[in-house]
Amino acid sequence: MRYIARRTAFFVFTLWAAVTVNFVIPRLMPGNPALAMIARYKHVTPAELASLEVLFGVKTHASLVSEYFEYLANISRGRFGISYTFFPETVSHEVLQAIPWTLCLVGVTTILAFLLGTLIGLVSAWRRGGWLDSILPPIFVITSAFPYFWIALLAVWLFSIKLNWLPLFGGYSIGDTPGWHWHFVVDALEHSILPASTILVTAIGGWILTMRNNVISVLDEDYVRMARAKGLKPWTVMWGYAGRNAILPNLTGFAMSLGFVVSGAILVEYVFNYPGVGWMLLDAVFNEDYPLMQALFLLITLAVLTAVLLADVVTALLDARTRDLV
Amino acid sequence: MRHVGRSRVIALFTVAVLATVAAACGSSSSTKTTTPSAAGSSLTISNESGTTWTCGFNPFNPSVYGLSFGTVYEELTFVNSLKSGAATPWLASSYTWSNANKTLTFTIRSGVKWSDGTAFSAKDVLFTFDMLKKFPALDLNAVWSVLSGVAQVGSDQVAFNFKTSAVPYFYYIADETPIVPEHIWGSIANPVTYNDSSPIGTGPYTMHACTSADVTYTKNPSYWQPGLPKIQTVYYPSFTSNDPANELLATGGAQWGSQFIPSIQSYYLSKSSNFHDWFPPVANVSIFMNLTNPVLAQLPVRRAMAYAIDRPKVSELGEYGYEPASNQTDIVKPTFSSWYDSSQAASYDYTYDPSRAKSILQQAGYTEKNGVFQTPKGPLSFSIINIGGYSDWVASVSVIETELKAVGISITPDNLASSVFDTDLYTGKYQLGYNSESGGPSPYYELRQLLYSANSAPLGQPAATDWERYSNPQTDALINQYGATTSPATQQSIVDKLELVMLKEVPVIPMTEEVDWYQYDTANIAGWATPSDPYAQPGAYDVPDIGVMLLHLYPKS
Repeated sequence: MRYIARRTAFFVFTLWAAVTVNFVIPRLMPGNPALAMIARYKHVTPAELASLEVLFGVKTHASLVSEYFEYLANISRGRFGISYTFFPETVSHEVLQAIPWTLCLVGVTTILAFLLGTLIGLVSAWRRGGWLDSILPPIFVITSAFPYFWIALLAVWLFSIKLNWLPLFGGYSIGDTPGWHWHFVVDALEHSILPASTILVTAIGGWILTMRNNVISVLDEDYVRMARAKGLKPWTVMWGYAGRNAILPNLTGFAMSLGFVVSGAILVEYVFNYPGVGWMLLDAVFNEDYPLMQALFLLITLAVLTAVLLADVVTALLDARTRDLV
Repeated sequence: MRHVGRSRVIALFTVAVLATVAAACGSSSSTKTTTPSAAGSSLTISNESGTTWTCGFNPFNPSVYGLSFGTVYEELTFVNSLKSGAATPWLASSYTWSNANKTLTFTIRSGVKWSDGTAFSAKDVLFTFDMLKKFPALDLNAVWSVLSGVAQVGSDQVAFNFKTSAVPYFYYIADETPIVPEHIWGSIANPVTYNDSSPIGTGPYTMHACTSADVTYTKNPSYWQPGLPKIQTVYYPSFTSNDPANELLATGGAQWGSQFIPSIQSYYLSKSSNFHDWFPPVANVSIFMNLTNPVLAQLPVRRAMAYAIDRPKVSELGEYGYEPASNQTDIVKPTFSSWYDSSQAASYDYTYDPSRAKSILQQAGYTEKNGVFQTPKGPLSFSIINIGGYSDWVASVSVIETELKAVGISITPDNLASSVFDTDLYTGKYQLGYNSESGGPSPYYELRQLLYSANSAPLGQPAATDWERYSNPQTDALINQYGATTSPATQQSIVDKLELVMLKEVPVIPMTEEVDWYQYDTANIAGWATPSDPYAQPGAYDVPDIGVMLLHLYPKS
């Protein structure tokens, strides 16, 4: 229990530090978002610039300290203000619109890549030198080494342009209205096949390789030999002895990547014009959209920290040794 | 005229890869497009907006007005920038200038209805302009900087009174201000932050549905122009990057394109005989020289630079030849060719001549040391700020760098994030800068943006458009004089004199001409704007021209 308590205290401290850094960094960046606005739309005069600045709150005369406390109060209530980029919409509105797409696409593919990768890694290490071991790991390690956009563009060219099987881009068809009806869900699923499979193909290799290596070293351990000697079924040894121990180092990595799901996948969204948060984050940075940036960074930090905390708990459950650590 | 944004490429490499692949694959007869199949009754626009839609349609919000102005909301008079400002009556059936060009009176069209059935009247026009006065943030063209009052005259006329005669502001009042309904906007507490999610306008289309990925417009059945529009449905998907938008065009999924396409011949034009493009130039991209810098304040330095750069080469290498080379008069050709004073231009003859550039510097008494000329005020060695995200501008500046180096002027490109670039340029914290003005329906607008001292500001303060900080009372007088006349002959003679300022004083060096990006598919839809019939600016981001374009289009079958 002390282990969990320590991890939780660490979680709270890291969260506070991240929230503070999140406040400071945008304020250290050069430039001024209101000026960026006029430059984009040209016709704005200096007088209007002043009104824009007040509107965006970039030239308020409040001290940094009072701004900081106001910021803490606001984010604890989930209020992130008005987005500069999507003016006059609020940040929360825009993020909530984009995040389901990211969670569904990147979240599902991350879990799938981890499960499949771990499974393939385990089986191929268990039957080292077998046909599965000599085919799948090399293939996926190679595909993982390709740059994502290259794989994605190749897939678009082959499956959308050349073979004409799958849609070119987007989360759903132009003119379709999102909603929980059969027609739309099928349409959205059809649109997610290409982005999802390209993410899967490029992400799975890493999991296979680490899992396979872990299992191989675990197989030499005495307790595995002991289990075999006891005459346990190979199935039980593979899952309960080799797999259970070999997966431990991978859990934290998996937790991290789960946390990063909410940061979206910029390249995926770029190539497929997919309506997620990855591109939104990039755009927020380009436009110096402090409120949007802060909300997204906070979301990512929170997600990663929570995922890591959960991974610690799971590790404690799976690995008796960590529970005894003081 | 207004542009929602420049369609430029941030990450050209992905586009280039796909362009090569797609070009190699050849034909693409029938692709599984993401658009509804349409034999001309519907139209899909492919314009890389760089952002997803917020589903706000406030026509006074510069981020979204491209989605409502022209289609849903309309202007009083349509002013065609490609025909030197030719005016077409729109919501106003006529207009007259009186009182020594200090009063502009519009007669408001009768029989027009808002899309909710309420009748449109002069009261709505009066209301719109009163609202701009009350909320300056809505007054995007600063019309209240020249207006003293707006009043209704009789039942169907609205009179605009000016502080001093400001004839060129006709364009901003008549063409660039969307008219909104009083019965809806009158009850909105803060129209600046109003997002206007279900806009009610007088225009040819009504907003039917909106998601962050797409806006669908349908025909306004009670539109005041009988029998129009002929296109029933318009889809306007949002694109955050160029390549999907280009793919949609190249596969025939979208019929109207408004963006940069690399290698357009192999990627787009060669795919079908129905695919066409046209890039009419509208303004200049120029080298701005900070005139408060003592070295750059010396005329021979600026003149030498104007001679030293091969503009056609910058256009060819930096802009793929899509944006034509500019000339030193600042007159955009061929769009405004009738304004071009060829005899003056010939007497100064700024054609590319590096040896002349060198001799100008030598005659001024400057000496060359280690390949760089030295002046009494300092060496001819500058940094040039540029927007790093605009890959074509970065390429252009690197051509300019090589050209200037050959005559003993050293420049170092400083590619910045656009927000930093804007701050530096606007506040005068730069030596050389690469940027463009927005222009207008005649060359006067860009010349005024460049040369009018009211558009300048002290160093450290943001200048509106006179970023080089040029200031000359005689030039100001010319610009004011233009504002007081409606006579084409007088206007021409004033623009001639402003061209002379550009030639003689070289306050900025125009490099290439900024164009409207425009691709179109004639398979099922006809009526497109062409070089022989330039009835409107053809970029889908041009407002209110988008409405004029849509009204000209019709299904072939």
